Amino acid sequence: MKKINNIYVLLVSIVMLASTQANAQISKAEIRATGLTCSMCSNAINKQLKSLPEVVTVETDLNTNTFTVTLKEGNTLSPKVFKDKVEKAGFFIGSLILTTKSETIKQGAYVLVNKASSNNTEVQIQVLDKGYVTEKEFKKLSKSFKNVETYASNNEDDFHIKILN
Amino acid sequence: MRKGIILFLVFVFQKNYSQELFVVTDPASNVPANTLSVRLSQSLFKEEFVSGYNYHLMPEITYGLDKNLMFRAAAFISNRSDQLVTEGGSFYTKYRFYSTDDLNSHFRLAAFGRYSFNNSDIHQEQIEIMGHNSGYETGLVATKLIKKVAISTSISFEKALDNKPNYPFPDDLGDNATNYTLSFGKLVYPKKYTNFKQTNINLMVEFVGQTINEDGKSYLDVVPAIQFIINSQARIDLAYRQELVSSMLRTAPNGFYFNLEYNFFNVFK
Repeated sequence: MKKINNIYVLLVSIVMLASTQANAQISKAEIRATGLTCSMCSNAINKQLKSLPEVVTVETDLNTNTFTVTLKEGNTLSPKVFKDKVEKAGFFIGSLILTTKSETIKQGAYVLVNKASSNNTEVQIQVLDKGYVTEKEFKKLSKSFKNVETYASNNEDDFHIKILN
Repeated sequence: MRKGIILFLVFVFQKNYSQELFVVTDPASNVPANTLSVRLSQSLFKEEFVSGYNYHLMPEITYGLDKNLMFRAAAFISNRSDQLVTEGGSFYTKYRFYSTDDLNSHFRLAAFGRYSFNNSDIHQEQIEIMGHNSGYETGLVATKLIKKVAISTSISFEKALDNKPNYPFPDDLGDNATNYTLSFGKLVYPKKYTNFKQTNINLMVEFVGQTINEDGKSYLDVVPAIQFIINSQARIDLAYRQELVSSMLRTAPNGFYFNLEYNFFNVFK
């Protein structure tokens, strides 16, 4: 009986280890919102972001409408969560910069569009898809990435990213 | 399906928020999803033909169902019968169907519909389903925000029905009208934000007009307003409405508005 228990514990540990490694771990998100200049509007976004259980703190710069979101370790949030929350408040994302482990971006959901490869274990990435940049920027990016088939298809489940550091 | 329901509501009930949180009109932007906004609107207008003031109290609740759709319910209470009496109520919905945003600016379009019922006496040519007439209104609103200035304009069709049970709409008056509004709002304080607790001050000027479709009788009013946003969550409006021109019978065109509003963000889990 004791032996079975030990094997069980071992199995669970392996599964847990494997799954935490596979999880996309975003530790920080820096969101710049568009379409607003009023503090009640910013507060609507602030409250939307704080409603996520994975969120530890939200710091707001009201003059630039930038929200710096610190997230709990081991979360499995996708970039789409931030887009949905900002849009629920009635606004849009102008830029989204994520701090994440370098293994995260090797997963299938992420498509790296610049060649810069980083040796850091923690990387800063910017999401370049429609809805994550301003409309003007998206038009520009569509031209420069016209050879990237997945970019033009606007699939909501893959994220085209640029490494910033 | 949802779009279908909205189109249906708009057609059935064929009739009107910081810099764009206007006092007498509504912008194309909605309240945030899952936010409950409670407002207590009060107005005190001077009677033209008898002595005294006409006082209206209008409690309202607004709910943002999702990012594009909101609903509002209101009750109408007034002193027209010399004591405070609940005379009716209203249902309102607005659907934002177009948005284009950039850093610190946006342009939005929305369609809205309102249905109101009221049991008070019909005493003027002006059609006003916010507290006077039973009826419906449907229209379009466009709002542009550029940095600290918001400009909003709307056009709508408004039709008056009988004020049941005792006051049918008079046969000799036009029962439908075209309404038009043009509103300007500017954030004047603070020049630079420091935190959410800072009080914001907005100054606004709104122009509100109506033409009775049958006989062309019209009015145009101007409504200057000052607004305080407290703690990024509550709002106080103080406004004065003044008739500029009018060719129709109105019993109390000039007076004050005093509104209080509080927003509950993320009300339901």
